Amino acid sequence: MKGISLLFFSLLLLLSSCSNQNADSSGSDFSGGPLTFIVPTAAGGGTDIVTRSLGSMMEEEMDRGIGVENIPGGSNAIGMIEGANADPNGKTVTMVVAELAMLNDLGLADISPDDYKPVAMVNLDPAAITVPADAPYDTLEEFIAYAKEHPDEIKIGNSGTGSIWHIASEAMGSETNTSYTNVPYEGAGPAVTALAGGHVDAVTVSAAEVLPQVESGEFKTLAVMSEERVEAMPDVPTFEEEGYDLGTVGTWRGLCVPVDTPEQTVDKLEKSILETADSKEFEEFMNDGGYGLEIKDSEEFQAFLNEQSEFFDEMLTELDMKQEQ
Amino acid sequence: METLTYVFQFETILLLILGLLIGLFIGALPGLSSVMGVALMLPITFGMEPINGILLLIGVYFGSIYGGSLTAILINTPGTPASAASVIDGYSLTKKGLAYKALQVSTVSSAIGGVVGVILLILVAPQLAEFALRFSAPETFALALFGLSVISTLTAGSYAKGMMSGLAGLIIATVGLDPISGVTRFTFGNVQLLGGVSFIAAMIGLFATSEAFRMVEDKIRNTDSSQTINKVKLKWSEFRAVFLTILGSSGIGTFIGMIPGAGADIASFVAYNEAKRFSKNKKEFGNGSLRGLAAPEAANTGLTGGAMVPLLTLGIPGDAVTAVLLGALTVQGLQPGPQLFVSDGSLVYALFIGMLLANLFILIIGFSGIRFFTKILKVPGHFLMPVILVLSVVGAYALNNNYFDVIVMFAAGIGGYFMKKFNFPVAPLILGLILGPLLESNLRRSIILAQGDMTIFLTRPITVVLLALAVLTLLSPLWNIRKKWKPDVKGEI
Repeated sequence: MKGISLLFFSLLLLLSSCSNQNADSSGSDFSGGPLTFIVPTAAGGGTDIVTRSLGSMMEEEMDRGIGVENIPGGSNAIGMIEGANADPNGKTVTMVVAELAMLNDLGLADISPDDYKPVAMVNLDPAAITVPADAPYDTLEEFIAYAKEHPDEIKIGNSGTGSIWHIASEAMGSETNTSYTNVPYEGAGPAVTALAGGHVDAVTVSAAEVLPQVESGEFKTLAVMSEERVEAMPDVPTFEEEGYDLGTVGTWRGLCVPVDTPEQTVDKLEKSILETADSKEFEEFMNDGGYGLEIKDSEEFQAFLNEQSEFFDEMLTELDMKQEQ
Repeated sequence: METLTYVFQFETILLLILGLLIGLFIGALPGLSSVMGVALMLPITFGMEPINGILLLIGVYFGSIYGGSLTAILINTPGTPASAASVIDGYSLTKKGLAYKALQVSTVSSAIGGVVGVILLILVAPQLAEFALRFSAPETFALALFGLSVISTLTAGSYAKGMMSGLAGLIIATVGLDPISGVTRFTFGNVQLLGGVSFIAAMIGLFATSEAFRMVEDKIRNTDSSQTINKVKLKWSEFRAVFLTILGSSGIGTFIGMIPGAGADIASFVAYNEAKRFSKNKKEFGNGSLRGLAAPEAANTGLTGGAMVPLLTLGIPGDAVTAVLLGALTVQGLQPGPQLFVSDGSLVYALFIGMLLANLFILIIGFSGIRFFTKILKVPGHFLMPVILVLSVVGAYALNNNYFDVIVMFAAGIGGYFMKKFNFPVAPLILGLILGPLLESNLRRSIILAQGDMTIFLTRPITVVLLALAVLTLLSPLWNIRKKWKPDVKGEI
């Protein structure tokens, strides 16, 4: 029996040692060998699920193995720093998230879009201003009017100070000349729970995150912060339609490689990712999960990153949250 | 009938059992938590039939919570935070040579806890969900404080040392990004510390690594610590004696499970505390009490049923595991929430039956496996020690694929070794580390919500009751000490 327990443990050690051999993919050559997708968030979240399913679809398309590695922590900074410092051979690809454009300005970590070469963006979920169904306002106009009469009275739940949904609420306040009490929670989920319990009056999280309650008639979404309407909520107007110049405020996800990666390699990766992202299968997956499908190629993604960096820089300066590094 | 044919299919049952076994394995490894287990299995379920996929994940979830207790009891190493409280009396029983009986109690309590949780879920889910939603920041703050007050019963002899250990945990918990204003605290510019000190890495160090160090010391001093296993089985009369504790703790677990933000770690500590409060023989707690083991074991599985309440009825996940399950349901095209019972009613009831079956299988797997599990105690210390060390390193690294957590683990291991050496209990430190962020963020969130009005803590009935319980628990040991007129006490109060 002693033998069996020892065997059991050695097997176990063997298994666990198999999982981390990606760091030094040999050589700087893109051809051959598996790819690694770094996810800067914990396993099981939206970013993880999107990356994993895109990865498994790309495996078939590229006919090579793709491993997903979660490196969460530090407001998503740790995984994104690790990804930017990987060998620039195209074999380590990082799924970057909106925080990439903010972390440096917030003074939290030395990482910015300049450390990456964008390959393709696959997802954008804009902020949606959502209130309980029985709230005394039915449109954005009425909501803003109420807020003007009652400054600081409306409590807006967000996913943490300095998080994208907090910025969204502040951006709305500064664009519409209104002020709110912003209540930070540990993520969008808890903020939505607080809205369901009537502890806050509104949330500014993504449409996808409130969709179940909007569909069941508990919540109503007044407007979304994007250039076009959200597919899942075709009746909800954008801020722009309502006469406010807010642009796109939301969370987004896209694949990037270290900035020194050869152009040729980026092109090859871009082609494979776009081919998969454009497929019917991926579209279905995104719709089922409630994720906004927004595909941008390398060039468009770069332009979008510049635009976002500028926007956050402006917003954080205005909010007095910008830290000089 | 449609429901029954849904569940009782060869493939479905097989996947459920497979899930349980995978979960058992993941749970037993320190560092691999329930959330990670469920998340890792998630992509595999995408192509399956909805009920098969969901039950596979449920199996992993339930199995991992049970598996975490096995190592907690046998080698003083909780596999998941849910089992941290089971160490206290579980490992004491093992040291007395009663590992066999301890595993029996753990298995029975886990199974009953799970069944009670599911039954409560079936019977009163909608009403419970309404109640759970009334928990806002002040209530959660009061619950966290109540959980923290449990420290006063984990003192292992010295009230002062227990409090110091708990406060140390609270202080370490302040490292990282401040949860409300997003300011960095005590990170010294290190990005790795932005998210704070990982409490799972710290837990592995404090319990497992320090235990390995102790084994080295025993080896050097030649005090052989290899355990004896008496095959003493649980007697019917003993089971009857702990039965009420199991039922009560299952209820506590279910209740805490449905509250958003509160997890199995709090549930098991609170259940331990309540079991001790209502016990006539308080002294046996911490020295191998069957009640002290049954309570956290029933609570951490009772929790699983509770955690499903807000998920299924409102579409709101109460903790990290149910957040992953929410993802699994939506990818399958199911929208949790009030309509789920109408649109996919038979699937929901199939899920309930599957959950009941999962608990039955835990009973069967547990009882047929005890003989095998206890074999680990026959492994001599000089084999076990390096295995525990390697598992600690692998577990800490696997948390976030990050070497920094390994450093945290070793630091906690060295700290834990000296704490044990000088009779400081380590459980309060873990409790402080887990509850610190919950306590702080909800205190400050309450004040924001009330716009500075502190009376918010006195005007809400649930808050007041929980705060009163917390103060009572915190101070009752002092009262007992005072009654005995110990001369050294006055200085402490």
